[in-house]
Amino acid sequence: MKAWRLCTILLPLLLPAQDLKEFEKKVTEFTLPNGLHFILVERHEAPVVSFHTYVNAGSVNDPSGETGTAHMFEHMAFKGTETIGTRDWPAEKKALDAVEQAYDRLEAERNRGPKADQNRIGVLETELKMAIDQAQSYVEPNEYTRIIEENGGLDVNARTSLDSTEYFYSLPSNRIELWFLMESQRFLRPVFREFYKERDVVMEEHRMNVESRPNGRLLEDFLATAFAAHPYRNPGGGWPSDIVNLRRADAKAFFDEYYVPANMTIAIAGDVNPAQARRMAERYFGPLPARPLPPLLHTEEPPQPGPKTAAVNLAAQPLLVIGYKRPDQYHPDDPVFDIVSLLLSSGRTGLLYKELVQEKRIAQVAQAAATFPDGRYPNLFLFFLAPALGHSVEENQKALDDLLARFQAAPVDEAALRRVKTKLRAGVIRRLAGNAGLASLLATYYAGFGDWRRLFTDLAGYEKVTAADVQRVAQRYFVSVNRTMAYIAQPPAAAAGGGRQ
Amino acid sequence: MKTRLAILALAAALAAAQTPVNPQPAPAKPPAAQRPAARPASAPSYKDLRYPPLGAVEIPKVETFTLANGMKLYLMEDHELPVVNGLALVRTGNLFDPPDHVGLALITGMTMRTGGTRARTGEQLDEQLENIAAGVESGIGETSGSVSFSALKENTDEVLGVFKDVLTAPEFRQDKINLAKTQIRSGIARRNDDPGGIRQREFTNIVYGKDTPYGWQEEYATIDRISRADLQDFYRRYFFPKNTLLAVWGDFDTAAMKAAVEKLFADWSVEQPPVPAFPKVAGTPPRGMYLAVKKEVTQTFFAIGHLGGDYRDKDYPALVIMADILGGGFHSRLFRRVRTKMGDAYDISADWGGNYDHPGLFEIAGSTKSLSTVAALQAIREEVERIRTTEVTEAELNTAKESALNGLVFAFDTRAKTLQRMLTYEYFGYPKDFLQQYQKALAAVTRADVLRVAKQHLHPDAFVTLAVGNPADFGQQLDALGSAVIPIDLTIPPPKQEAAKEDAATLEKGKQLLARAQQAAGGVERLAAVKDTTQVAEWQFDAAAGGLQLKKTDRWIAPEILRQESVSAAGRITAFFDGKSGWIASAGGSMLLAGAPLKQVQGDLFRLYLRMLLSDRIAGRAVNATGDATVEIGDATGQIAQLEFDAATGLPRKLLYEAVTGGGQPVSVEEEYADFRAVGGVKVPFKITVTQGGRKYAAVAVTDFQIDTGLKPQDLGRRP
Repeated sequence: MKAWRLCTILLPLLLPAQDLKEFEKKVTEFTLPNGLHFILVERHEAPVVSFHTYVNAGSVNDPSGETGTAHMFEHMAFKGTETIGTRDWPAEKKALDAVEQAYDRLEAERNRGPKADQNRIGVLETELKMAIDQAQSYVEPNEYTRIIEENGGLDVNARTSLDSTEYFYSLPSNRIELWFLMESQRFLRPVFREFYKERDVVMEEHRMNVESRPNGRLLEDFLATAFAAHPYRNPGGGWPSDIVNLRRADAKAFFDEYYVPANMTIAIAGDVNPAQARRMAERYFGPLPARPLPPLLHTEEPPQPGPKTAAVNLAAQPLLVIGYKRPDQYHPDDPVFDIVSLLLSSGRTGLLYKELVQEKRIAQVAQAAATFPDGRYPNLFLFFLAPALGHSVEENQKALDDLLARFQAAPVDEAALRRVKTKLRAGVIRRLAGNAGLASLLATYYAGFGDWRRLFTDLAGYEKVTAADVQRVAQRYFVSVNRTMAYIAQPPAAAAGGGRQ
Repeated sequence: MKTRLAILALAAALAAAQTPVNPQPAPAKPPAAQRPAARPASAPSYKDLRYPPLGAVEIPKVETFTLANGMKLYLMEDHELPVVNGLALVRTGNLFDPPDHVGLALITGMTMRTGGTRARTGEQLDEQLENIAAGVESGIGETSGSVSFSALKENTDEVLGVFKDVLTAPEFRQDKINLAKTQIRSGIARRNDDPGGIRQREFTNIVYGKDTPYGWQEEYATIDRISRADLQDFYRRYFFPKNTLLAVWGDFDTAAMKAAVEKLFADWSVEQPPVPAFPKVAGTPPRGMYLAVKKEVTQTFFAIGHLGGDYRDKDYPALVIMADILGGGFHSRLFRRVRTKMGDAYDISADWGGNYDHPGLFEIAGSTKSLSTVAALQAIREEVERIRTTEVTEAELNTAKESALNGLVFAFDTRAKTLQRMLTYEYFGYPKDFLQQYQKALAAVTRADVLRVAKQHLHPDAFVTLAVGNPADFGQQLDALGSAVIPIDLTIPPPKQEAAKEDAATLEKGKQLLARAQQAAGGVERLAAVKDTTQVAEWQFDAAAGGLQLKKTDRWIAPEILRQESVSAAGRITAFFDGKSGWIASAGGSMLLAGAPLKQVQGDLFRLYLRMLLSDRIAGRAVNATGDATVEIGDATGQIAQLEFDAATGLPRKLLYEAVTGGGQPVSVEEEYADFRAVGGVKVPFKITVTQGGRKYAAVAVTDFQIDTGLKPQDLGRRP
């Protein structure tokens, strides 16, 4: 008994409630009258500060036939305003309108379909190109980002996900007002300049990340196979044929509908004075007009009728992804999925690594992810397997099936369960160390769950997960009717041609 | 990225030296936000903003000690979070790999931790550490080795103990050596899958020289050769106290930590001679235009440049500014031109790469759709020429300097960063006041300096230009840029088969076995008199190998002219080789025979039935008996095959060799001969069964075989 008591005393001091209390002292939160929410965390270790703007709109909100719109707007947000990035705004505005008129004429002709006059299309294309060049002549290229970079901006970037769009960077803390000015201006006075050149850049991004990389090709086809109706089936950046037809007005309409102050959260972490920051927030973001929240997405994925498989023929080494349908992040089983993914694939004690990589040596990589591609809507519990040299996709798939069957058949080892809970607690502590990561977490948790405290209170949910919960979830969701599998295989002709003759 | 890291690294000590003691300097005047907010509704301008002075950077206190065993110790308290971290830096690196054991340092670094310690297996350590959410990791890179740990405060002693054992008593258990080799071999097999990866690897290797420690890479053969004893020797040579710097930072008391570390490492007293300097970067790097063909991509991934410099070069600060203006961010010339204006790239950048102790790489890199390959490369050349011949504008200079100087503060944003940087300087022997000079130099860079260093240090004539992509889609070919294109062979060399031991007796026996086969097949004089052959065969691939059917015609003119034609539902492929070079053609056009197809045709020519039988008459070939009825035949180019004879008839029964699949994986191939028929006095197999990697692969039925039909080289060499 004594030994046991000693143990409890030595157990990690990281009781979530205590940490939360400590942490709360550093946090200031407020909402502007227009609905924009701010979370500030003071960390005065160094004179630097990180900013994170989280918008509750992502690729899932792309209109049908216009996939890629959310991502296009994200690129537009770096293009400046009526005062930043232009040499002569009134003239540029006229030129931009002329571009749209030229484009309208071209589309009108194209819309005649088979009856369209190809010569006239050629002429109209040339006119459009000239109009674009004319507008370009008023542009002060990349002035918006240049200003931030000149002031020491670090990791100036943004990302568009399925559920969200995020904008972030860090500055020396004496330049905090510059961020307030620049960030508010891009949402107050966006002008959508250089839209069609940027569309080309976005196509290059797609070619680079999706078309030229085996991983990109595999995951694109995997999602399109797994989801029949829900927009999780679309690539985050859109389908190429949609992208090349996007119009400036599409991005503008998207912005007007979704970039509503009440639909955005901003987190600032670092060397920040809360009272001063609040005054700046009111001054710079106050002018954003309050607008109604955008409509909810109503497309629901119908129940999966049976297992699905997709083969991607590529002259590359084999890869395998398997996903099982799971409910969204608001479902009571959500914490259980997190625990399951850690049991299966964290560190070197995760079951997938232990068995497939270390013992059988049939996989080079074997990982699980609780949520894919994003979490607000029902999604997939993902397995990613890279067969080791000389081992096949089939061999790996069978080994995984076999492992999951055993995982379902018996409750998980208590020691393993305790281990992953300890990791989760330690993980929360370690995540508090950097400004940029912290700002991202707080904004994400607030936007996703309505309270950043979930970052800490989630731990209580994890503590409650039992071995029986793990087994129940594995038995309920890891079933073949829920499964989608996609893999990379050498095209048969290449295999036949390559080996010998 | 490298430049930015370098700047950050260099900034640290600098600010350390000039930081005011006063932690909260009062702003000279109220910051803009405190002015009354009564302003017109028009957009506020960033130009009106006035910033207060930057708050003081608090330089953490680092205590330095040298232990009795010679190990240097750096301790820094940081009480923000209840965690403790440590890092041991050891002077070693993969630059010390022997050329035929490339991968030795890598595997040593991996298995120090995974192979366990004398007291505990790797799996036991995994459980012990993960149970308390701690980690101990090891690794060896190009110019340093490290063992690190991370622990929650209350587990510090336990984790320190494991850390010490991994550093001082690794066991290198064989099962984890095998695991590391499987992982690395799988990585080698995958190394041509990602075009960005190919670009980085090939560019680096070409510029430094593929036959130098900076440019060579792991291959199956070099990995296979590495033994546990090699790892133990490598470890022993470099891991000793006098060759180790240990830093510990986090939530502890310095005096107590010092006592704990001293006690823990008191018994680590091994000694070794001082570690020599790393090899120098040497040799003239090959300039030119290189092309690595990668089909199934829609972009060309390119890199252009040559060797860069050392951080201590007096021109380094000006070169950093120059590279930033050329391609350092959104504001740079290349970004504005190739991305923003042309819309021809997502990713484009230039970097004057430095290193602490050897030249880094000056590299312009990016990717563009296949069709705009030449246009993008041309635009880059023009921008390089422009920065070498005209001064940059004052505005460009300001932007580059401001962003470098204002960003320096991020070098101090965590205490750990400052400590690790201090360690790095110590490791590479950098002077203490070096950084102060660097910042001053950065601030003093002028437009004339930028032009001077660009002229002096950028040599377009010496550029290596590398493109990885699909030239079929380039539109305009690379030679439009004015220089001959040098193809890069991406084929992954299969494990080198060590030739069987040979002596006079085995050579003599090999000769006898071959002579008997020659006799059985029609007599050596008849075989040697054959001038040409034509073989037509039906190939039926096994279902698992794609199930394809094809008709294949091989025409051969002695000694080394070969034309192969395959016709299947997928179309016709023709290859021609004259012993030196050749071409391959399909409906899509024809191209020079290179890379994997070339290797395949060369292999087929080497293994041609009649030539195998005549191996004792072909210059450079050795025939060596490896068994009662088996010979190994090899030649000077590294081709190797085994021929097994039928004990009863003396004729060849099986041919065994290693080949490479289309995906680059090595595979063992076995061809079994049957149904011998006489054609013009020569016995030829009409039924061949092919097995690959132990699995049935294809059945080959010869439908026609003719000898001496008067084939002419010019007919065989005619393109379809």
